[in-house]
Amino acid sequence: MKRITIDPITRLEGHGKIEIFLNDAGEVKNSYFQVPELRGFEKFSEGRLAEDMPQITQRICGVCPEAHHMASTKCLDDLFHVDPPSPAKKLRELFYSTFYVTDHTTHFYILAGPDFVMGPDAPVAERNILGVIAKVGLELGGAVINTRMKNHHIIHMLGGRAVHPVFGLPGGVSKGLNEDERKEVEQIAKDSIEFAKLSLKVFDDIVLKNKAYVDMIVSDAFTHRTYYMGLVDDKNRVNFYDGKVRVVDPDGKEFAKYAPREYLNNVAEHVEPWSYMKFPFLKNVGWKGFVDGKDSGVFRATPLSRLNASDGMATPLAQEAYEKFYSTLGGKPVHHTLATHWARLVELLYAAERLLELSKDPEITSPNIRTIPTAKPDEGVGIVEAPRGTLTHHYITDENGIIKKANLIVATVNNAAAVNMSVNKAARALIQPGKEITEGLLNRIEMAWRPYDLCLACATHTLPGQAPMEVVIYNSKREIIKRLKR
Amino acid sequence: MTAIREFSHKASSTKTLILGLGNTLLCDDGVGLYVAAKLREKINQPNITIIETGVAGLSLLDLLVGYDKAIIVDAIQTEGGKIGQIYRLAPEAFNTAVRTASAHGIDFPTALEFGKKLGLHLPQQITIFAIEVSDITTFREECTPEVQKAIPKCVEMILKELN
Repeated sequence: MKRITIDPITRLEGHGKIEIFLNDAGEVKNSYFQVPELRGFEKFSEGRLAEDMPQITQRICGVCPEAHHMASTKCLDDLFHVDPPSPAKKLRELFYSTFYVTDHTTHFYILAGPDFVMGPDAPVAERNILGVIAKVGLELGGAVINTRMKNHHIIHMLGGRAVHPVFGLPGGVSKGLNEDERKEVEQIAKDSIEFAKLSLKVFDDIVLKNKAYVDMIVSDAFTHRTYYMGLVDDKNRVNFYDGKVRVVDPDGKEFAKYAPREYLNNVAEHVEPWSYMKFPFLKNVGWKGFVDGKDSGVFRATPLSRLNASDGMATPLAQEAYEKFYSTLGGKPVHHTLATHWARLVELLYAAERLLELSKDPEITSPNIRTIPTAKPDEGVGIVEAPRGTLTHHYITDENGIIKKANLIVATVNNAAAVNMSVNKAARALIQPGKEITEGLLNRIEMAWRPYDLCLACATHTLPGQAPMEVVIYNSKREIIKRLKR
Repeated sequence: MTAIREFSHKASSTKTLILGLGNTLLCDDGVGLYVAAKLREKINQPNITIIETGVAGLSLLDLLVGYDKAIIVDAIQTEGGKIGQIYRLAPEAFNTAVRTASAHGIDFPTALEFGKKLGLHLPQQITIFAIEVSDITTFREECTPEVQKAIPKCVEMILKELN
């Protein structure tokens, strides 16, 4: 067995592990993508005050604390039976839109960008943001940093601090905007729109004008016909902060549309013996295994899913980008996983435009930002769209608001079955009898799961700061024939 | 902390940043934050800033901007590492890992190099104190015993480093 160790310091625990089993002919028989699951959250939550949950849950993850903060805050509205005043809802959405701008920017330029700008076969050492700026120029790198900093500034402005904000409260928010701050937000929103337009142009120039890349995006290796999930407003347009969950089938027809409270009537979880992770599926279709198609309850909840599950975008430029997206890729729904990167940019533009709309809303500087809850708490469900997919918080408390039960379905878990299928399909396409298994395989397999923007427990910050991954390939006798590691 | 406002404030005076990284909800993952909190009790100098945070990658870069010297404290897991062992490392220790293999963001050396290329004011000297940990996936607000014991040791090492 030849073992390749890439890093001198590599974590053993907490890494993503892909095991691939070959048949006698040397073809892929099966594959398993395992990620570490955080343990004991429910027990940890029990006995805590429900109103502490927006602060606690946002600390779960160093990647999208704002999404947990917002899902938890909305869950508390429901739990305490309180409807926030309109300015508070708008401030929350403004806060959430600015967060989306930072998160989608980071994902596209840091993660997706290198594959397309440098190419999937570029050497590992060049396939990163440094390679990207070497190729497209420092100016764009500066724009990425500036956009992030400015939008973090808004999070800081409203949340009191840039990391782990203290903003959402049951029935409203802790702080509003004054006129000076509003003007600042308006300017940042305008700049962010320009940045989003530039990003779509970069995608257009580098990806869409390159036939090889377009061929790869629409190739079968990166395609799955699944159900799609996303929050929509009352006109079925994409909404990150609020609305109903809409699910469309692989033909794009509405399959379900439900309020957060009804999520358990629609989604169930399948358990596999080889993974701690549960695999959510559509209850009313049923679990048929890791397969796509209309008879399989596997769904996806990603930026691409949100576009597929909606009838359009609520802002003009994003709507144009949405239309171009579907006209270029042959109509709705789009099943090509790699198109998720493009969908993310359409959403980036929407988030920036929505930020501008909200910054100009006459109510946005209103001091009426909280309705004090007076009802007894019992049970609540809050759903938002995290940048990487639908995020659900569900708490049950006693009448003093002490948590008795807490359940979280995070985006990565929603997509767990689909990620496995994507990895499997890529492996099948790439591992051929008699063909040497190379380091390049690792990147192609990573490309299959990268669009899902996985939020692995291990991906946050423990040194060396990157998510270690291991691919182990077994022959039909279950002997290890290759181990690729980074 | 990453805001423009603080950036301009930081730029106007000299300074050392002590950055505790981790997550106190996840057992040993909080060790960097516990060390930073202890240091906060012992250090009261206007030119030393202590920040405790759970962010990574590019967001780390945002935090480092404007400082001359930085000390980073974090958890680490190495092959065959002894739980509770403390390593004093330079960022170059991770140079072989410069790439974007992470599921989120970029690793530290890549972020630093990116910042340098963009001409950001970043610390000339960065020292990393990394503590070998055991459990970072169980929700528990304390470290395992061996890691717990390393906290005062690491605090002493950092105080010595500052002197």
